[in-house]
Amino acid sequence: MNIIETRGLKKDYALGTTTVHALRGIDLAIEKGDFLSIVGPSGSGKTTLLNIIGCIDFATEGSVRVGDRDITSLSDRQITDIRLHKIGFIFQTFNLIPVLNAIENVEFPLLLMKNHSKMDVKKKAEQLLDAVGLGEYIKHKPAELSGGQRQRVAIARALVTKPDIILADEPTANLDSVTGASILDAMREMNKREHTTFIFSTHDANVLKYASHVVKIKDGLVTKE
Amino acid sequence: MNLITKIAWRNIMRHRGKSLIIGAILFVGALIMTMGNGVISGMDAGLQKTIVHSFTGDIVLISDKQESDNVFFEFLGKAVAPIYNFSDIKKVLEKQPYVERALPAGKNMAMVLNEEGGTPGNAFLLGVDVKKYRSMFPGNCKVIDGQMVGDNEHGALVPAEARKEFQAYTNIWFMPEGTTLDSSRLPKEVKPDYASLIPKTNAVLMGFNEDNSTTDIRLGIKGIIQYRALNSLWGRFIVIDIESYRRCLGYFAAADKIAIPASDQKLFTMADENLDAMFSSESLMVHNTAKKGLKPVSAHKTAAAPSPAAVDVDAGAYNMVFVLLKSGEDEASSIKKLNAVLKEQKLGVRAVSWKRALGPVGSMATIIKGALFVFVMFLFFVAIIIIVNTLSMAAIERTTEIGMMRAVGAKKGFISIMFLAETAMLSFVFGGAGILCGIAGVNVLALCGWTSDNDMVQLLFGGDTFHPLLTSVDIGLSIVQLAIVTLIAVVYPTKVAQSITPLDAVTRD
Repeated sequence: MNIIETRGLKKDYALGTTTVHALRGIDLAIEKGDFLSIVGPSGSGKTTLLNIIGCIDFATEGSVRVGDRDITSLSDRQITDIRLHKIGFIFQTFNLIPVLNAIENVEFPLLLMKNHSKMDVKKKAEQLLDAVGLGEYIKHKPAELSGGQRQRVAIARALVTKPDIILADEPTANLDSVTGASILDAMREMNKREHTTFIFSTHDANVLKYASHVVKIKDGLVTKE
Repeated sequence: MNLITKIAWRNIMRHRGKSLIIGAILFVGALIMTMGNGVISGMDAGLQKTIVHSFTGDIVLISDKQESDNVFFEFLGKAVAPIYNFSDIKKVLEKQPYVERALPAGKNMAMVLNEEGGTPGNAFLLGVDVKKYRSMFPGNCKVIDGQMVGDNEHGALVPAEARKEFQAYTNIWFMPEGTTLDSSRLPKEVKPDYASLIPKTNAVLMGFNEDNSTTDIRLGIKGIIQYRALNSLWGRFIVIDIESYRRCLGYFAAADKIAIPASDQKLFTMADENLDAMFSSESLMVHNTAKKGLKPVSAHKTAAAPSPAAVDVDAGAYNMVFVLLKSGEDEASSIKKLNAVLKEQKLGVRAVSWKRALGPVGSMATIIKGALFVFVMFLFFVAIIIIVNTLSMAAIERTTEIGMMRAVGAKKGFISIMFLAETAMLSFVFGGAGILCGIAGVNVLALCGWTSDNDMVQLLFGGDTFHPLLTSVDIGLSIVQLAIVTLIAVVYPTKVAQSITPLDAVTRD
């Protein structure tokens, strides 16, 4: 069963008087529970593709189906709901809320959902932070954590709502190789345990060995699946 | 702690510099606003005390024939239309539950003649029952020389300000009856002119009558008075007894009222067209049943003015009626109600507010009050601009954080409430402190008890003493104003924050 399908996905950017064609017609089908890596050189369109799949950017042309919904015609409110309930994000630069500590950052999406008790929220956040090896750092603010620890918090935050899909844009780019490997191990572990679909972009060949499928992109087109 | 409150508070603490700038603006704004409200409120209360409770009452009744509502300070002192039916008006006023009391008065301009042949002066005459006037406006003036006009007495109370003016123009120095010119009792500025002063213990007043004639009366000066405040304005009002006033202005005085015998009243009830009846023997031709040697009965009025005690003073002419409302009664609605009753009863008078009756002086008070309000609002406008700018900058600086919040599922409403919460907290802490300091400041200023002799300043003070005042309503108003400022200041930054998309956060990185 495909959890994500794109058809003829195009994305153009206006750059002064010229138009940059970031995506030139991407057809992609990703199965539920996949651990998929999107690879390609810088400027190939990896991040743009992830952003559109993750409902934080819009396609110029083509369609994107997430689960059973075509997201290209949804309102901002509906799109936000999809981001909250269906998708988890892990950004390259960790992107945690600076004024909240580790556990509060993880709790944040659950509190936005408003359908969990405070005890439940706290328990889930603690469990996930334990799972990513940060049980002792739950009260630490992002500024008091290392890059790897922050990325683990981001993984825990992405997983806490039990989304169908987790999108990770170069999650190891700002980490040393050992930390990067441990992050990928953690992601893989979650993928196996929760059957969550992981889609991550990278241009690091060492990362590819973790992926169950690899999609290669060049100049806005899929060159190999 | 609620998630939004937690984020808002921590953001305030995280961006202490910006928070302090916004907080300082809110503090100063709230402080000035509260003190401004105190000054405005004190001015209002002062004006109530100085003008309403000392000179005019809340409402002034004037004749429907009176063109302008400005009956006190009309340009060139145009005559104020007379009111002849105060007795009927009084009955109506007594029935109004919101009316505390009323006082009829005559007010017009008169010439103060110079018997030495020089240029005459002029003054406003305020004809009243002096005892009732003192009772209606207690403490509005004090006698600095001589005494008050006594009960049933004819006489004038000349304000010190008017006396000074007459002296400057004519060298006439008015003094109370029974006193002599004594250089030691003269004001310092008049002493150098002692030798040239022409002392007078009475004044010859020339009033302009309705039929374009004039009447001169000589009136003894009973006392020299000083008004409690606004002497350059009210200092030209010579207070005289109502019957003397009426004689001076050629009005129908109470003393002119005569009793018509019942037999003669038939003359008033006869039909005009029945000429035969008018000249019938029953009406005019009467049998002379008088015994020889008795004096004939006369229905004519006597020319001599009797003592006011012997007549019904209310029966004569007035120009206006001062009406004091009961405490807490709204002036505007009372005027509306009163006008409806006066119209219904066809009394030929209308009710106007004291401000309208005072003309430019009343407007000046409103203008000063308005200017103060505009000043306070201007300060807040500036404060709003600075706060909007600072918050908008803060929103843009926090693009990554806000965009990331949106990426993980925060709706625009969450971002708006978060911004509102941050500003509301700053408003509560700093604005609240500003209001508290403003309350303290108003109380300190009130304790200072600054006084002024300058009329413009006295209008600003609302009297001779600066007495800012804060009621619970004023404090409530300050809180509401602060809340409005907070809401207005947060609108644009919120729009900026709402416009931040998750993509902005990603692309910024």
